[in-house]
Amino acid sequence: MRHPSDGVLRRLVDEPAGVTDDDRAHVASCPACLRALDSARADARLVGSALAAPRTGDVDTDAAWARLSSAASATTTPAFRPAPTAARRRWGSAVRRPAAAALGAVVILTGAGVAAANDWLPIFQTERVDPVEVTATDLVQVPDLSAYGDLQITQDPEPGQVADAETARERTGLAVPEVADLPEGVTGEPTYQVAGVAEATFTFSADKAARAAAAEGEVLPPPPAGLDGSQLRLQAGPGVAAMWSQPTGVPTLVVARVGAPTVYSSGVPFETVRDYLLSLPGLPEGLADQLRTLSADGGTLPLPVPAELVTSSTADVGGAEATVLTSRNGLFAGVVWVEDGVMTGVAGSLSADELLSVARDLG
Amino acid sequence: MARPRTERGTGMSRGRVDVRTDLEQVFRSNYAGVVAVAARVLGSRDQAEDVAQEVFLSFGRSSVPADEAGGWLTVAATHTALNLLRSGRRRSAREENACDGPAVVPDVADLVITREERSAVRAALARLPHKQAVTLVLRHSGLSYAEVASALDLSPGSVGTTVRRAESVLLKELNRHASPE
Repeated sequence: MRHPSDGVLRRLVDEPAGVTDDDRAHVASCPACLRALDSARADARLVGSALAAPRTGDVDTDAAWARLSSAASATTTPAFRPAPTAARRRWGSAVRRPAAAALGAVVILTGAGVAAANDWLPIFQTERVDPVEVTATDLVQVPDLSAYGDLQITQDPEPGQVADAETARERTGLAVPEVADLPEGVTGEPTYQVAGVAEATFTFSADKAARAAAAEGEVLPPPPAGLDGSQLRLQAGPGVAAMWSQPTGVPTLVVARVGAPTVYSSGVPFETVRDYLLSLPGLPEGLADQLRTLSADGGTLPLPVPAELVTSSTADVGGAEATVLTSRNGLFAGVVWVEDGVMTGVAGSLSADELLSVARDLG
Repeated sequence: MARPRTERGTGMSRGRVDVRTDLEQVFRSNYAGVVAVAARVLGSRDQAEDVAQEVFLSFGRSSVPADEAGGWLTVAATHTALNLLRSGRRRSAREENACDGPAVVPDVADLVITREERSAVRAALARLPHKQAVTLVLRHSGLSYAEVASALDLSPGSVGTTVRRAESVLLKELNRHASPE
């Protein structure tokens, strides 16, 4: 009988039952095969110890789950993030829960008058919560209002990657902020993402809103006079971003600049729309109160970031008050500020101090 | 990211963004194991946890049956970690040093030796042909020959051959690395 192959001998080490009786019998009585088997066994043991993993038994599954669930949920939060692969509906969303749509609408609407942080919420979320999937579409977004009426995209931002900073500037009219000194651990050339101006018209439909609420088991409050059929025109962008990524695709550092959105109403006062949206079922009362109060005094918007995952503070960046957001697990941070209707953000898997340093030295 | 074959085979829709409802249960059952597999490849727990996040995100958007999750995740983690390893680009020394964790806390000399050895093993692993490396890692992660064969579309008979060849090459690489110039 011929000697069994090396592969059979190797299997004998791990799974003797997977080897035929004939082969086992041969090896047991063949000195050459026994020597080869010993050699295979020794090699297997050596490689096994060489490939021993660092100790991972005490992984923090709860913290890891919090990180993952926030990243996963970012892809289904309609108001702030479109489905990345839904090419036909770049601004659309995967989920149309009325409360989520209303929240997004309120965030946009309440920020319209102050050019505040409304538009950087999606960018912040993208960097913070779903760092794997930063796309140019994330730069310019509007909430999915289709649960409440008809949303017609009148201008597509046509997001995409471009070859270099100069092309990005030509496409958007925005200069890509230049990073003077890359933080330690960030290397190589960035990729550049751009998006043009996005524009949409929303026509409120009381009937559609009532159906959406009913689908959620809720009753829609009666809309104020004039709201049914009234129109809002939403405009945002352009946007540009430079991204340095790890081999896994996770952005290490993102520097982005985007035009803050504006909203125009066709008749119904903005406050009327805002108050009505805030009265819709499903919005947490505390959040609605907060939005109503802050938008009334024209101050900075609150950011509906997940408080259990993120802490926020403020810092000075070139004379502007920037908001600094840091994930509680310390993996990500972001610095965002608004000047002259343009929002600039620096975010990534770095410390807040490193990002502030980048922000303050941007050219 | 390289995805395991089974993902394509189960009809995952690339346009789909809904995250499956059983993700948390699968995550909690498999997270530690996935990190361990990726750490076996990378020699770094910190990087392994990043890989695990990536792999579970992919799983969350896939339609892989829950009862196949364990094998799918292991294969995906191996591919992803090997791709990261083979890319030759590592995350910053700061990150590597910060989070690998106080494993046993030996004295400084031991720690240096361990890190050097670990690094040499990973370098050798990165030089193996991809299929050999994946097969080797899966086998040493505890998958049976039948499971490895199924995951990599090999015949069960050839798993042993591939593992044996990979072990020989790896040890040869390590010996070459260890021998004085």
